[in-house]
Amino acid sequence: MNELLTFLGEEDRYKKYELFFGPNHPGMNGNFSYIITVEGHTIKRVDPDPGQLHRGFEKLVEHRLWMQNISLIPRICVPEPDINELVYSRCVEKLMGIEIPERAKYIRTIVLEMARINAFLMGFSGISGTTGLYTGSNWTLADRDYFIDLFEWLTGARVYHMYIIPGGVRRDLPDGWIEKLEETLNYIEKRLSEYDRLIYNNPIVVQRLKGLAPITREDAIKYGITGPNLRATGIKYDTRKAVPYAAYEYLDFDIPVQSDGDGLARAIQRREEFEISINLIRQAIKKMPKKGKIRLDMPNPLKFRVPKGEVYVKVESARGEHGYYMVSDGGTKPYRMAVRGGSYTAGLVYARKALVGMRIEDVALWMATMDICAPDFDR
Amino acid sequence: MAHGAFTRTTFNRDFIRGVNMLVTSRKDLRDNGWERVLNYFRSKSMWMLHYCTGCGAIELPPTMTSRWDMERFGIGPMATPRQADLLLITGYLSIKSLKRVIYTYEQMQNPKWLIAFGSCPLNGGIYYDSYTVINRLALYLPIDLSIEGCMPRPEAVINGFNTLMKGIEQGTAVGYKRYEQNYAWYKKNQDAVLNRTKPVFDSGVKQ
Amino acid sequence: MTQKEIIEKIKDSFPNAKTKIIDEHQFSVVIDKEQNIAVLAFLQNIDFKELAILTAVDWMEEKQFEVVYNLFSYSHYQQILVKARIDRDNPKIQSVLNLWDVAKTYERDVHEFFGIEFIGNDELKPFFLHNWLDLPPMRKDFDSLAYSNEVYGKFKEEREK
Repeated sequence: MNELLTFLGEEDRYKKYELFFGPNHPGMNGNFSYIITVEGHTIKRVDPDPGQLHRGFEKLVEHRLWMQNISLIPRICVPEPDINELVYSRCVEKLMGIEIPERAKYIRTIVLEMARINAFLMGFSGISGTTGLYTGSNWTLADRDYFIDLFEWLTGARVYHMYIIPGGVRRDLPDGWIEKLEETLNYIEKRLSEYDRLIYNNPIVVQRLKGLAPITREDAIKYGITGPNLRATGIKYDTRKAVPYAAYEYLDFDIPVQSDGDGLARAIQRREEFEISINLIRQAIKKMPKKGKIRLDMPNPLKFRVPKGEVYVKVESARGEHGYYMVSDGGTKPYRMAVRGGSYTAGLVYARKALVGMRIEDVALWMATMDICAPDFDR
Repeated sequence: MAHGAFTRTTFNRDFIRGVNMLVTSRKDLRDNGWERVLNYFRSKSMWMLHYCTGCGAIELPPTMTSRWDMERFGIGPMATPRQADLLLITGYLSIKSLKRVIYTYEQMQNPKWLIAFGSCPLNGGIYYDSYTVINRLALYLPIDLSIEGCMPRPEAVINGFNTLMKGIEQGTAVGYKRYEQNYAWYKKNQDAVLNRTKPVFDSGVKQ
Repeated sequence: MTQKEIIEKIKDSFPNAKTKIIDEHQFSVVIDKEQNIAVLAFLQNIDFKELAILTAVDWMEEKQFEVVYNLFSYSHYQQILVKARIDRDNPKIQSVLNLWDVAKTYERDVHEFFGIEFIGNDELKPFFLHNWLDLPPMRKDFDSLAYSNEVYGKFKEEREK
């Protein structure tokens, strides 16, 4: 019957159908949807449909004073909010031409690396949850709570900290905080061997990840893919070493790379960078000056002006390159702030090429290995 | 002992209450049907729809994992709206999201309940001057419970669930009935936001 | 290549480009809007292969838009901000989608929020906004608070029937 219809010139119109992947889907990270056209079991065409988390940040910051924006900015990236505070503060400091004290740089480094560990734990939870291994998902999400407790002791809030401000950090480390941090790091290192046994040496997970959507080196640079996804293809580049910020120029670490560029390489890359983050925190604790100022004396926050100019500042987040392009016209409020999220190109542009030819059940797993987070590009 | 934990004293207490309810007066059975009995059982087994609508969803995994375990109250996640009882609006709603949340709410079967998390559904929160974030959710969907905070801690979430469970048992949390009875009013508000046909400010500048 | 050598190379090929150093890893180049494809193709050839972001700034008093292309090189570790000014009342500029695939999506984004037309890009459809009938929202003469009060209510008290 099929052949008869195509012989007569009619297309079999029940062969292709359209599905919504998300927003209401347990495998989706955040609120975002792909409209996929499927033929049988394989995907033929992908159209992303963003905008469900859009709040208009770039417009909202133009109507609040420079210091008032600190309470608005962390909400741009939900799993790892401290990078936004750091990029904003560095933009203001660069435009004003000021340099923060040494102890503040080390404290900023410790806070950023803790946020990076939290984001990696969420990445592990995504990889194991989308293959059906819910035990790994529950373990890693429960272990995040130890770091959230430390943040609560230091800054007062669990999720959105508002701790890094232009000029330094808000308050000094309380007594006993560093000992508790070292205890937590020792605990997490012991847990890593259990995660290895459960997730990374699990034959089912490895079989599903091997050969999943490999990225070539030329494609990675052309499509603007950054972060651990770029290093998994073999390019040895890390913003913390190339254009250093906070205290990274005083710390000593090397850059691991993998060579395959497929799903398994990306998962292993995150696992190796996890250990580097733990190492960086330990180094920063040892090298930090024991006493010192943690904040410069800034002018009156209700009235201070930032000189005219423009700058682009970027940091290395768990998802890639997260940067702001800031323009100031010499007033009390920002003139223009453009946000470059770490997963903009991977989620909206590269997906249209990578998902074609894949099976439906691998879409959630692909999103978890690329660590695509919707609030980054929806702003 | 935590509220809802299953011990012998709670079993005795619930058993007597259950028997009391089954042996109700004939007038009550004639007026309300088995509603009182059913409400008692419904409150002990709510299935929550697994839909993360906004930033508040980052505090749901700590509520689900072993530290503040919510499964001991009978609450568990569910993937499809057709078999879920509870819809959580975790945080702000942009209008694109509002359209899909309304479809999801109408796909759920009665009885169903809706909880609004955070301060954004109450009065717009920190995005009060945004051009895509709605300011009051109560105009578009019936809310049974609000939990305030930005964002609410897992203890506040569990406290909210317990309050809702008591409300269901006593028969006061009936947002779905309000939605059916005032459907024209809700639909008018939804259309005013989602299906506009004229620009708001007539500036005469075309794109 | 160092920053000085790159700046000299650009000035050799494009004499009326104005450069300005921001810091040791960043500088900006102001060009005419007709030259944008030529300058970007030249920079792509000397290994500035990553287009980090394509965005726009609204200078309302001067009646101009400014389109900003942000390029980075993985071998020289330099960031270049290429800027071109266009007229605000009739904003049109050539699209660069033949050089980078990601530019198509960035241009769709900028078109939705500022109203700039990119000649050659046929995919300028609604992206982030739903049923938007007003001015493009990122322009400076669009008042977001008045819009929100009008459409979403200013904490008014309203009773059900």
